[in-house]
Amino acid sequence: MWPFDAVDWLTLSIPFAYLFILVGSLAVFSSLFRKRKAAKAASLAPWFPPNLQRDVYLTLLHQEEPRVPDSMLKAALLRRATEDIHRIVQIRNGKAALQVLLQRGSVGDDLWQRFQRAEKEIEEELRDVVNEANAFAPNWGQIIFQSASEIAQNTMLREQLSTVLSTSKSEKEWWEKRKAEIEAELLGEVDQEKRVKQ
Amino acid sequence: MSGTDYNYDEQGQFFPYFILTITSLVTIPVTYSLLKPSKELESTATRISSDFKPEHADLIEGQRKKQKRRERRLKRFFVSVGGWAIMAWMTYLMFTTAEINEKIWDPYEVLGLSRSASEKEIKKRYRKLSLTEHPDKRHENLAQNITTEVINDHWVNVVKAFKSLTDEEIRNNWLQYGHPDGKQSFSIGIALPKWIVTEGHGKYVLLMYALALGVILPYTVGKWWYGLQRMTREKILVSSAGKLFKEYDNDQGESGVLNALSAGDEFEEVLKGHKAEEGLSKLEQKVLSDASDSPVLTSLTAKDRKKLADLEDSRRRKALTLLWAYLGRIELNDDALNDEKFEVAPIALKLNEAYTAIALAYGNTKAVISAYHTSQNLIQALRPGASPLEQLPHFTPAIAQAAEAERARTHLSVQEFLQISEQQRKSRVLRPGLLTDAQYRQAMAVASQLPVLHVEKAFFKVVGEKFVTPSSLVQFIIKCRFIPPGSTNIPAVQPSDLEDVDPDEGDVAAITGRNDDRSGQKPIQPPLAYAPYFPRDHAPRWHIFLADSKQGKVAVPPTAFTTFDKPILDESGNHTFNVQTLKMQFGSPPQPGNYTFVMHMVCDSYIGMDTKMEVTLKVEDASKAALVEEEDEISEPDEDTLAGQMRVLKDGGVPKKKKQLEDDSSDDGSDTEGDVDSESETDTDTDTDDE
Repeated sequence: MWPFDAVDWLTLSIPFAYLFILVGSLAVFSSLFRKRKAAKAASLAPWFPPNLQRDVYLTLLHQEEPRVPDSMLKAALLRRATEDIHRIVQIRNGKAALQVLLQRGSVGDDLWQRFQRAEKEIEEELRDVVNEANAFAPNWGQIIFQSASEIAQNTMLREQLSTVLSTSKSEKEWWEKRKAEIEAELLGEVDQEKRVKQ
Repeated sequence: MSGTDYNYDEQGQFFPYFILTITSLVTIPVTYSLLKPSKELESTATRISSDFKPEHADLIEGQRKKQKRRERRLKRFFVSVGGWAIMAWMTYLMFTTAEINEKIWDPYEVLGLSRSASEKEIKKRYRKLSLTEHPDKRHENLAQNITTEVINDHWVNVVKAFKSLTDEEIRNNWLQYGHPDGKQSFSIGIALPKWIVTEGHGKYVLLMYALALGVILPYTVGKWWYGLQRMTREKILVSSAGKLFKEYDNDQGESGVLNALSAGDEFEEVLKGHKAEEGLSKLEQKVLSDASDSPVLTSLTAKDRKKLADLEDSRRRKALTLLWAYLGRIELNDDALNDEKFEVAPIALKLNEAYTAIALAYGNTKAVISAYHTSQNLIQALRPGASPLEQLPHFTPAIAQAAEAERARTHLSVQEFLQISEQQRKSRVLRPGLLTDAQYRQAMAVASQLPVLHVEKAFFKVVGEKFVTPSSLVQFIIKCRFIPPGSTNIPAVQPSDLEDVDPDEGDVAAITGRNDDRSGQKPIQPPLAYAPYFPRDHAPRWHIFLADSKQGKVAVPPTAFTTFDKPILDESGNHTFNVQTLKMQFGSPPQPGNYTFVMHMVCDSYIGMDTKMEVTLKVEDASKAALVEEEDEISEPDEDTLAGQMRVLKDGGVPKKKKQLEDDSSDDGSDTEGDVDSESETDTDTDTDDE
């Protein structure tokens, strides 16, 4: 047949092969690159360690046999809220600093991504806690974090106090020793003076 | 005949030029950067002289050498040597191929005439030559290799030359185009050897192109880019920076900072593979067990020790324990461990720089100070809470304790110790089991060379103004002197030295605030930090920053000073006690009032030389400053001088007198209403945000 005989198929296939290889290699590269990027993003370590208080609360909530009394559930929820307060304080304090550091190039993009993810997560967590609280008592959700932050502050103060108090023993020992030394020195001087007088 | 004609370089006469140019473009800059003396502070500063040799001086020296090897620019060396070799070869080629160049036939030369010869002269010359050079007149001389052929050829040449010069057309061609045949074709040489385009070589050339564009170029760019991405601004790994940020805590003290630093991934390089575990138990026993009476135990709180014990990553635990061993100057009885102990210190210092940047981003004064103190500890190899006296040679904790004598909980600084009378000092430390006389003298020699920066005066000012006005560019000026510990006969400070004279109005650089550009003079450097245990050279840096003491925040971020404007020592090596001027700039707060800051001056290399001082920034109302100027009637700068133009810009283009009236009237109204209130409420902190 006329038109097909006149075509040199081999020569014609070369440009098409070229196009195919070019487009194909670009496509492979792009898909590999995206997959690797996605895998990397997924493998980013979480900002916070697993939320133990939340797990405790959820376990108690879903325990069927025997059912957990409401008071205990409420206490667990309050503890969960307290843990959230710790986290949100960390996030709030760190945000401005991290932005500055990111701008200057002192930290990498990964860290910022992890941070943003943690921020979103904590937002969800807060909403969840509010909903749970409202389920126990109407409008509790509005004040639960206030109580939680008071609890958190109290705990912090107590910890600081205990660290200060824990040094008291060694300080006391040191002071007793020092006192004894001073006494000995003074007595020695008095003795010398006496001897001189004699 | 005229046409364009591309010739490949068959004899290879242009190719060398091409290669030579390209190679020299690369080689000369590389050689320059190879041979250029390093301008780094560490390589130009003097040293504090002392013949004290610390224990394991060989290991420390080994670490120093290792670093030097790392810094050696081997690649650059090979590139420049190779480049010069190629250039030499190309030059050689140029000279050898130049001879092949065929000469253009020049009839004047054949006849032995100058180009200006007239027709008459040519004819005369030809006739003369025909008498001597004609084949009939000459004889064969085989001894001189003159055959009939040569004689004939020569004669033909002469005739040809004569004819061409007597023929009008050819002669004109000669004069016009420099060639007997008239205008020559314009030929362009391509400085590539012909074998590149010869049949059959095409595929190799293509292969080389593909290799260069498809492999080498993407590889180099990728390597550069990803190498850039791996490192942060502080030249530490991005992953380490992330970990440091996570480990950061406002309230952790110096031991907490050390704990954070151990998270850095840089330690992996030192503690590769099996090294992560090797000797760990022995190390922990030496450094941390209660039975070992290591000096570190007193500076580690119970909490820190628990944290250390809880570390799961054995590599990190080893890095941290090694750091503590280094800071406690603990003998580990194992050369490999001792070597690692010295190797981790510079890494920790580098990580600490990044940690300092993080602390500054948070702006918490306590954290910043902790970071600076950690730098001091690392450089001096002293644990947190150690006596500053242990910076001196031979001073161990026991000797420092004896030297302090008071048994107080606070330590004596080196300066304070040297203020005690010589006799008393000696009586404290010159005892059997403590120091010998020679050791004592060695220690005192070092102490009297330490650069202690003593602040004489610190004040704020705005260039060209009598008062500090709101939202202006304030200079914080510190006048200080180097007073080494124990120096006597310190001259009194000249009052004129404490003033800061404004530069002339024409001095553009000074007025715009870029007056610290002392590019003409060589800056004065204090000697390198005296740090016999630190396996690097380190130039001391003084960080000065202003803090808000009420909020515990940094108000004006630190400026680091490494060089000074006046000589510290005179020719004979004595201290000059010159008053040095340090300046830092910041924008003043927008509201008038008194702002009290605490100035911190921290040297990053020496312990116990920090200065803390309260300074008050008095911001006056803009109208007051303007009023004073008016009363003074001093130079109202002309509109066409630079200062005048700057004033116009500052005032927003409003003619000055008018504006002032407005200012006054508006102020009268507002003053009564409640400026006091707003003043007391003003936030002293302009730079940091509060939660």
